[in-house]
Amino acid sequence: MLSFFSALTHNPFLQMAIFSGLLASVTSGVIGSYVVIKRISFLAGSIAHSVLSGMGICLFLQFSLNMPSIKPLYGAFVSAIGSALLIGWIHRRFSQREDSVIATIWSSGMAIGVIFISLAPASQVNLLDFLFGNILWVSKADLFWLMIVDILILSMVSIFYTRFLAICFDETQCYLRKIPTTFTYLLLLSLIALSIVLLIKVMGIILLIALLTIPPTIASLFTHRLSKMMLSATLIAMGMYICGLFIAYETNFPPGATIALVAGIAYGLALCFRKKIAVRK
Amino acid sequence: MSEICLENVSFSYGKAPILQKVSFSIEKGSFNAIIGPNGGGKTTLLKLLLGLIFPDSGTVLLQNTSPKNICQKIGYVPQVAITDPFFPITLKQVVLLGQAEKAGLFSRYPKDILEKARDLIDSLGLTEHQNNPFGALSGGLKQRTLIARALISNPEFLFLDEPTASIDQENQEKIFSLIESFKGKKTILMVTHDLEEIFKNVDKVFSCQKTVTPYSPKDVCKHFAFGLYHTPLSKND
Repeated sequence: MLSFFSALTHNPFLQMAIFSGLLASVTSGVIGSYVVIKRISFLAGSIAHSVLSGMGICLFLQFSLNMPSIKPLYGAFVSAIGSALLIGWIHRRFSQREDSVIATIWSSGMAIGVIFISLAPASQVNLLDFLFGNILWVSKADLFWLMIVDILILSMVSIFYTRFLAICFDETQCYLRKIPTTFTYLLLLSLIALSIVLLIKVMGIILLIALLTIPPTIASLFTHRLSKMMLSATLIAMGMYICGLFIAYETNFPPGATIALVAGIAYGLALCFRKKIAVRK
Repeated sequence: MSEICLENVSFSYGKAPILQKVSFSIEKGSFNAIIGPNGGGKTTLLKLLLGLIFPDSGTVLLQNTSPKNICQKIGYVPQVAITDPFFPITLKQVVLLGQAEKAGLFSRYPKDILEKARDLIDSLGLTEHQNNPFGALSGGLKQRTLIARALISNPEFLFLDEPTASIDQENQEKIFSLIESFKGKKTILMVTHDLEEIFKNVDKVFSCQKTVTPYSPKDVCKHFAFGLYHTPLSKND
């Protein structure tokens, strides 16, 4: 048990994994709270999976056409923002068919990514790393960019806090107050897309939705103010991440999957705990 | 000049006609009710007046202009049932959202808005619950909160969509009494199924069944109370 904590003091890969997880927890707690209260987890999942298309295309360009400056993370940003704006536009225009279109973007995005990754030289690419994360991926440069994006997201949320709250609670009221609802909604989706890209490195595409939605959902059981929900969700996400990483290190399980499992168990426990409090009252 | 004027308005969802050649006008400061069977077009009519949707033909004018141009003069009270019971927001925050466009950094509102919110919360008997979660409030408290939200901007129009749906009798009376207090000060349009309140308080009743037929309250007969609505009268009646 102590091997994890002693490794923390001298293992640079583990240290960077911890730092990246803590930085990602900040945005997952803050932005994930909006995902939960606006009830767009399915939409967020679609953005997450369609990110593979951008990453796949960049990998193909990087290795097959010898363009090493094109990193998969750039493709991830572009495809995340692009799919967020497309899904947002479809949501505003065709709300009756929204679910089907989101599912189409979800599967098509992944399919494009898998195809382009298959065209890249096999020795260079491990698809599983994209899908489930790889803590060895995180470099010092990645930590720097994670911090920058964290600051950007927190700044935007500070400026647009009330407008995001208003649009999540009642869009009709926003329209009557002449708050630009489409712009505000697309901005929120773009911030969600950025958060998703932050989480890819630590959790992978398939499992990042766990860290984006479960901590805020747990926080929502115990607070009725959005600001407190965000703070609680951030702390819960940090706790889940460290706990999951600890278990993965000691058991040699995949870290992303272990963190997701810890999140699921924590949610179950939180529901039981909340029920006990309600019964006592 | 009428405060609200609809002229030959028609609207369909796809091929299904909802409203057909609707024409009526409403005077400033009057208290009006919209009644009608389910599917009659009441909510669609309200959405047209809010400027959320636009007619396929005809014109909708508020103060001689499109509703979209003066939407900030409209106070809208939706049905309580459409709000999310688990949403993390307090009663006071809901009221303040009535002026959300004036919030600054870190959700700070100007002092005059905070004072207005406090005065409204006190006058509507909501002080004790202002820091409670909105979702945990009773139906009556929620409805009064939404009315406070609509009033904080001091609107000239007040549109209410079934303000007493799913609310007990005692709170229904309080809410109707509150709405009636704005008669003469605001132009009120209320979708309702409560015919007793219509008899007591409103100036005019509009029966909405694809077309809109105006009645005076005394002409609204007891058939309406059983959900039996007359076929629309011709213009000569």
